[in-house]
Amino acid sequence: MKKLLLASTVLAMTAGPALAEDIKVGVLLGYTGPIESLTPDMAASAELAFKEVNASGLLLGGKKIISVRADSTCVDSAAATTAAEKLVTSDKVAAIMGADCSGVTGAVANNVAVPNGVVMVSPSATSPGLSALKDKGYFFRTSPSDARQGEVLATVLQSRGIKEVAVTYTNNDYGKGLSDSFSNSFKAVGGKISITAAHEDGKADYSAEVGALSAAGSKHLAVFGYLDQGGKGIIQASLDSGAFDKFILADGMIGESLTKAIGKDLDGAIGTLPGGESKGATSFQSMAEKAGIKKGGPFTAESYDAGALIAFAMQAAGSADRAAIQSKLMMVANAPGEKIMPGELAKGLKILKDGGDIDYVGATSVEFNKIGEVLGTYKELEVKGGEFMTIKVH
Amino acid sequence: MATDFLNALILLANFVIVPGVAYGSQLALGALGITLVYAVLRFANFAHSDTMAFGTMSTVLITWWFQSLGISFGPLPTALLALPFAIIITIGVVLITDRTVYRFYRSKRSSPAIFVIASIGVMFLMNGLVRFIIGPDDQRFVDGERFIITARNFKKMTGLDEGLAIKVTQGLTIVIAVILVIALFWFLNRTRSGKAMRAYSDNEDLALLSGIDPERVVMVTWIITAALMTIAGTLYGLDKSFKPFTYFNLLLPFFAAAIVGGIGQPVGAIIGGYVIAFSEVSITYAYKKFLKYLVADDWAPEGLVQLLSTDYKFAVSFIILVVVLLIRPTGIIRGKVV
Amino acid sequence: MNRPLRAVLSFSLIAVLFLFVGFGQSWSVALAIFNLCLISSVMALGVNIQWGYAGLFNVGTMGFAALGGVATVLVSKAPIPESWAAGGSDLMIAALLTLLTIGAVVFAYRRTSKGPLRNISITVIIVVGFAVVRPFYDPAVAAIESVNPAHAGYLGGLGLPILFSWIVGGLFAAGAAWIVGKIALGLRSDYLAIATLGIAEIVLAVVKNEDWLTRGVKNVSGLPRPVPYEIDLQASERFIGWVEWLYEGTLGAVSGADRSALLNDLVIESSSIFVKLCYSGLFAVVLIIVFMLSMRALNSPWGRMMRAIRDNETAANAMGKNITGRHLQVFIIGSAVVGVAGAMLTTLDGQLTPGSYNPLRFTFLIWVMVIVGGSGNNLGAVLGGFLIWFFWVEAEPVGVWLIDFATSWMDGSNPIRLHLMNTAQHMRLFTMGLVLLLVMRFNPGGILPETVHRATDQK
Repeated sequence: MKKLLLASTVLAMTAGPALAEDIKVGVLLGYTGPIESLTPDMAASAELAFKEVNASGLLLGGKKIISVRADSTCVDSAAATTAAEKLVTSDKVAAIMGADCSGVTGAVANNVAVPNGVVMVSPSATSPGLSALKDKGYFFRTSPSDARQGEVLATVLQSRGIKEVAVTYTNNDYGKGLSDSFSNSFKAVGGKISITAAHEDGKADYSAEVGALSAAGSKHLAVFGYLDQGGKGIIQASLDSGAFDKFILADGMIGESLTKAIGKDLDGAIGTLPGGESKGATSFQSMAEKAGIKKGGPFTAESYDAGALIAFAMQAAGSADRAAIQSKLMMVANAPGEKIMPGELAKGLKILKDGGDIDYVGATSVEFNKIGEVLGTYKELEVKGGEFMTIKVH
Repeated sequence: MATDFLNALILLANFVIVPGVAYGSQLALGALGITLVYAVLRFANFAHSDTMAFGTMSTVLITWWFQSLGISFGPLPTALLALPFAIIITIGVVLITDRTVYRFYRSKRSSPAIFVIASIGVMFLMNGLVRFIIGPDDQRFVDGERFIITARNFKKMTGLDEGLAIKVTQGLTIVIAVILVIALFWFLNRTRSGKAMRAYSDNEDLALLSGIDPERVVMVTWIITAALMTIAGTLYGLDKSFKPFTYFNLLLPFFAAAIVGGIGQPVGAIIGGYVIAFSEVSITYAYKKFLKYLVADDWAPEGLVQLLSTDYKFAVSFIILVVVLLIRPTGIIRGKVV
Repeated sequence: MNRPLRAVLSFSLIAVLFLFVGFGQSWSVALAIFNLCLISSVMALGVNIQWGYAGLFNVGTMGFAALGGVATVLVSKAPIPESWAAGGSDLMIAALLTLLTIGAVVFAYRRTSKGPLRNISITVIIVVGFAVVRPFYDPAVAAIESVNPAHAGYLGGLGLPILFSWIVGGLFAAGAAWIVGKIALGLRSDYLAIATLGIAEIVLAVVKNEDWLTRGVKNVSGLPRPVPYEIDLQASERFIGWVEWLYEGTLGAVSGADRSALLNDLVIESSSIFVKLCYSGLFAVVLIIVFMLSMRALNSPWGRMMRAIRDNETAANAMGKNITGRHLQVFIIGSAVVGVAGAMLTTLDGQLTPGSYNPLRFTFLIWVMVIVGGSGNNLGAVLGGFLIWFFWVEAEPVGVWLIDFATSWMDGSNPIRLHLMNTAQHMRLFTMGLVLLLVMRFNPGGILPETVHRATDQK
């Protein structure tokens, strides 16, 4: 199934001059760079939504969405902006699903998307700084701002009676922003942070960081990193050296590959992840698994929702015009309207075609606030028997 | 009182000494390759770590193949079995690179800067090639036992509060590094080829006059370096994991280690490796807990007692490098005169 | 073929390539690439000044470019009063103490002769200095960084127009180059390369971690622009009028709702192109100024002396020339140029992203530009800047297209084909390396090699 998906992308890109019934949507993610191992699944999730839409044949009288992938590199603003330029002015995409990392997302939004009036829906840019973006209503994100996650984490720890933690974060705007947000919230409820130390992704040796972290004396370690990157390395090094065995994980650390890699030693770890236990989330997970996407992969659900929202906005606007998409995106995502779940995209398209209204709930319970951000519900998770189990939803 | 002292010692061993020795061995092996090329071929090989990545990639691919065939090596990683084959492949690639790229500049007696720029080109090539063949993702290929002794078991055995953990790969790294260094020194000092290499490195013209075949010396150097690269890269990849991006980042610490120890001198590379590794680890370690064990409670430190935050860990090797360049540019063991 | 013809042909080739992109993809893309080419050319010029005039192998351009970027933030962002109030005074004290320590070190260095006494006293001074500065520095930094960390958490800047920062960036880089040069310039070329690479990493580590100054990895976005915003242009009556006038013919053909829709599209596209052209103008001015100054210097007695030193250092030394001093001059000038380019780049981005500075893109790529374009030749460096950056950016889509074409006979779900399609973007690294090696081997002077002036050439 995964091969089929990739093949359809390949075919899409080889199509050359697109047929008149085709609408191009940019999928701008960091295919090279610090999260290059996460992005293929994110792109595949968005394309899953597109495929579902195409298969229904109901979009704007039978038009098909073609995904055009471009590399944001996650760290090189110049390259990301150039790639976005190409998408917007050369491929003439109707909208952009992306970018992935907060830094380049801001650059692309400021330099390309907003000036050209192209909607951007980011599945994973969570830096609180992006809330202040002057975007004229063209920037949306399906993942909540980390300002909220910090609060949720602090509440979770407080409810479990954990009073002191050591914190490590990945040294970028995501990690730093989340760490700052968490520190403030945790201190506000009377908690103590014994040490805050950054770690760089892409290194293989974290013994020094772990040594410093453990020397501060706390029993708990909060890891705000990436599960395929430094975050995993930190946990591994902590367990190996006996420094910590109780971990607190943020959204970037939640996923099957972590539990598989660490195994039973991870039991007892607590975490937060945007999303709920909603029907939508679970039904997306099974769809994704069938499509060959790693179950529980970070931001795959958000990517699917972003793709679906773009398609619905087009249908509601009755055209693939960029400004029209922007005008309808909020409407299709928010109440009132018929609630639409993952896998029900055809149903949603039909309702819109007949002039009705939908409230896309999707895999992440999408509901935008005034500035195009989701407030987000967070799942409180605990690792039991080598798997992440949801305890509560905040 | 005695238990406190023991605890402090074990704490230091666990977080500073063992990681320092393991990391130092990895750096030493890498720096050895760099220093050999510098000594004989007289240029700083910027393509070193990406060639290492290539060698490790070969090991990984062969290991996977072996694993799929059901071959294993008991408690030790299967990669060790794959190593000889990967070394042969890497030697081949390195010799081809020399033949097509560097030999031309040798014949023209180009300046070292030209060689370095050429090696930058080779670096790009290897970088792209490795990612192209195996992809940029993290690859795990380690199997067999993980620990010689785990922290938990240690605590149980000794009853102390602090545990000491030693991984199999760490043990392997140290043992193999020692073996390699001994072998290398035996080779350099006892065999004809080794002596020819040293002669060629000390004074090229005189060596040629004595009838030493320069191309043979070069070939032997590359063969040894390729073997070192592959083994070092594989050990590193077994201990951590294989990711092409990581290897590129190791280039500067390798250079720092080679220069600090005295570039062009194999002993220097080894010393430099350990100096850099221990500096990185000990300067950024927070001694709060350690001191707490040792001193009376009233004197126990409030702050972390950390000289430099771990943010700057990466920069420590370069700071040391710069300091060495200022005070003693030839390195700890008098390396090549600059 | 003779030199001027080669130069003309090469630049014409580039112009043709840009036309291809303009017609094939879009003019906005072509201009975006063009602007980055301009910036890369300035950087390549800076590197070439060091390499071509003095044979200095500086692989630390990344650090100088980052300093230029920091300058834009420090010059153009408005100051944040709360941060200054929170930590300003402590920070000043810490700065003063640091200066005193450095002064003490220099004093000790001068007063003692080489030997253990000097080393020990300097070490002691540094340790004491460290211990004395930290109690002021640490709380100041913590206080500043806790002022509104999500949107600020740093000192802010001076609130001046951003164009000043280009000069300030050059000055920062020059200052850093002075320090670096004092440390590293006596070394042999490949040693110098490693040292400069390491120092660039140190500079970058500071920029990344000292949040109170640069916001570190949280990035500073929303830098003020020297050119109009597209949004403002799109709303300006005058601009719309221009677009109408320009596209009279096309617009006349349609009417009503179609016409306003078409006009809207045209206005959006034109605004984007207009803004890019403004940037191009600014960057081109800088490039031309730097280029002309370099050529002036090259053909002056100073330039001739520099190259003579480069070609035969022993003879120059024997003649009593202060080689290290001269090298330092060139090093500072070249690095200043790179600093200006770094400031330009950050201005174009509109944000400072310390995490985006990596050696591959900022150092090694620039070297490929210099070598391929013409080692030692200023015009060659500019050519190299254009050519190599163009290929670097276009290599991704072209590479994907090539692989697709080459494997089109394979079945769509063939795993080899899929793997190749997925990893096609890494081909650009491979291609860059190949290009560099080929040029060095078969055309070592580069496309526009250095012009060697000999006495016998004079007519």
